[in-house]
Amino acid sequence: MAIEIGNRLGLANVKSDYIHAAGRKLEDIHDELLELEAKGEVKVIHVKDENKPIEAETLFGWKKKIPTNKLWHHKSCGQCGNIPGYPVSLLWFMNKFGIEYIDERNQTSCTAWNYHGSGTSNPVGLAAVAVRNWHRAYELGLFPLFHCATTFGDYKEMRNLLVEHKELRDEVRRIMHKIGRELVIPEYIVHYSEWVHVMRFEIAKLKKYDLSNVIATIHPACHTYKMIPEDCIYDKEIYAGKRTAVSTGIALALGAQVADYSTWYDCCGFGFRHILTEREASRSFVMDRKIRPMVREAQSDVCITQDTGCTTTLDKNQWIGKAMGYTEQVPVMADVMFAALACGADVYKIVQLQWHTTDWRPLCEKIGIDWKKSEDEYDAYLEELKAGGKTVNLYEYPAGK
Amino acid sequence: MEYDENGVSIVPFELKKEIFEEARRDFRYEEYVRGCLNCGVCAGGCPPHRFFDFSPRIVLQKMKSKDPELIWTMMDEYVWACFQCFTCAMICPFLNSPGGVIAILREIAVRRGFESAKKVLKPYSRVLLKLTAYGNQLSPDMIQPDFFPDWGPHIGYASTDLAVKRKAIPMPTLQVTNLAWDVAPEAMKELYDIFDEAGVFKIIESVDPSLYEIIQDIVDDVRSS
Repeated sequence: MAIEIGNRLGLANVKSDYIHAAGRKLEDIHDELLELEAKGEVKVIHVKDENKPIEAETLFGWKKKIPTNKLWHHKSCGQCGNIPGYPVSLLWFMNKFGIEYIDERNQTSCTAWNYHGSGTSNPVGLAAVAVRNWHRAYELGLFPLFHCATTFGDYKEMRNLLVEHKELRDEVRRIMHKIGRELVIPEYIVHYSEWVHVMRFEIAKLKKYDLSNVIATIHPACHTYKMIPEDCIYDKEIYAGKRTAVSTGIALALGAQVADYSTWYDCCGFGFRHILTEREASRSFVMDRKIRPMVREAQSDVCITQDTGCTTTLDKNQWIGKAMGYTEQVPVMADVMFAALACGADVYKIVQLQWHTTDWRPLCEKIGIDWKKSEDEYDAYLEELKAGGKTVNLYEYPAGK
Repeated sequence: MEYDENGVSIVPFELKKEIFEEARRDFRYEEYVRGCLNCGVCAGGCPPHRFFDFSPRIVLQKMKSKDPELIWTMMDEYVWACFQCFTCAMICPFLNSPGGVIAILREIAVRRGFESAKKVLKPYSRVLLKLTAYGNQLSPDMIQPDFFPDWGPHIGYASTDLAVKRKAIPMPTLQVTNLAWDVAPEAMKELYDIFDEAGVFKIIESVDPSLYEIIQDIVDDVRSS
């Protein structure tokens, strides 16, 4: 087996021809879904040629088509309220590439954050909400792209349960008919970070800054690769195919150094309910299990996440560490925000780092970004808006939406 | 529910048995509880295992024991320690999902309106309100310094001139302060119908009747708009 280690800091770009085997009976749900479609049991939202798919491999070497065009944005109820730079950066890239998409109001939360935090739902409720939102994309002729890791994990689970349990399908179908919709299931459940991953070499062509002196540590969201782990992208050229490739792939493609750290597999400490009502657990976990190892072991300049909850938890809980004498700090941002910074997106208007708590200015200075100029322009822009000025949008609603 | 002199709830064995049977009847149970070697890999990777008296290995072992008394011991605060990260499910050699079992047990606790569930979820009510009434969750106006003092002095940034800062975000869906995005009423109405049909509103009522009343007022307003 050929092994090549090219990164002095860790294992991120270790290459291997090793392929994971399932090692146990595990059906590819995609095949079962198509069988149900053939029997007329469900309708499937297919990835078509017009979606310009790029193929990737998942944990066991199965193929997954990632649609790159004609997309319906399924926003995250955590990110949009707290880390707006993450969806904005994604739309910024899509505009650069001339990609067709819709971002509209006719979408609900997947409700899974609430379910995992409080238990106040059930599989019928979760599956019906999923199908409701999938059907909205279907009726617009678009493929749904999920922004949130918990949505991604939950929708993968709901798809599997719907495929495997006729009783659940029947109940959800009944509810869908009541609200004037149909039982539809996407051919693949696709997370925005998978779109970033398969587009990483195109994104890297837009790069404006040299990142070779930037040390990044990666924290992938648990619900992307621990819930239904077989349906997550792995790549033989990244971590030798032994860890999910998503987010590490874009950092490497942009030329940053991706450093390893001993607690890579740990969660962020979010805990769904804990981040809001048992914060001592969350913040202790953040400092002891993530931030301190990232800084002390890897001298990390930036922690790259994928997601809402992780970004919030890891960013917001560093300041309080000072009470324990912890001095380690590292800026936190989603992969697409880091990529947007590298490609010259405005720090304030697009990447929206001003909402983040842990100081990100040293990172900008190391990259060579003039954040002060961006801040001054943003402040002037706010004054214009206060005086009745109009927002310069990346996107406008389709007529009538 | 009765309590003994130590504040521990006294419940008849029949109720404990009922709860175990309810968990076993869940259609996900067989998928979540398979063979268990007691190897402890799940506990080794479990985040809350480091901070709480909680172990996914013990969850699995108790379920495998089929002893209602043992399962009852997890129904109070124990099940609420889990982070629901599913590290346990990913690394289990037997494909068990202790995190999935926890989800089933939590559902039972809230559906039956257990006092422990009510107590744990009381501080969570604002999130429940946002989600159930508006189809959204964390909203910009929830990030207030008095609620998040441990997030540091910069947190005040988010609550100052919030409306204009949200207006400056170049996505029309996000230019609101009371929701993560501006959810269309037709989407909310469909969500309410789903919650009605799936019994979600009933679950909220059993765990927090006052909150349920507030939610129903909002639901009625949106439905009649």
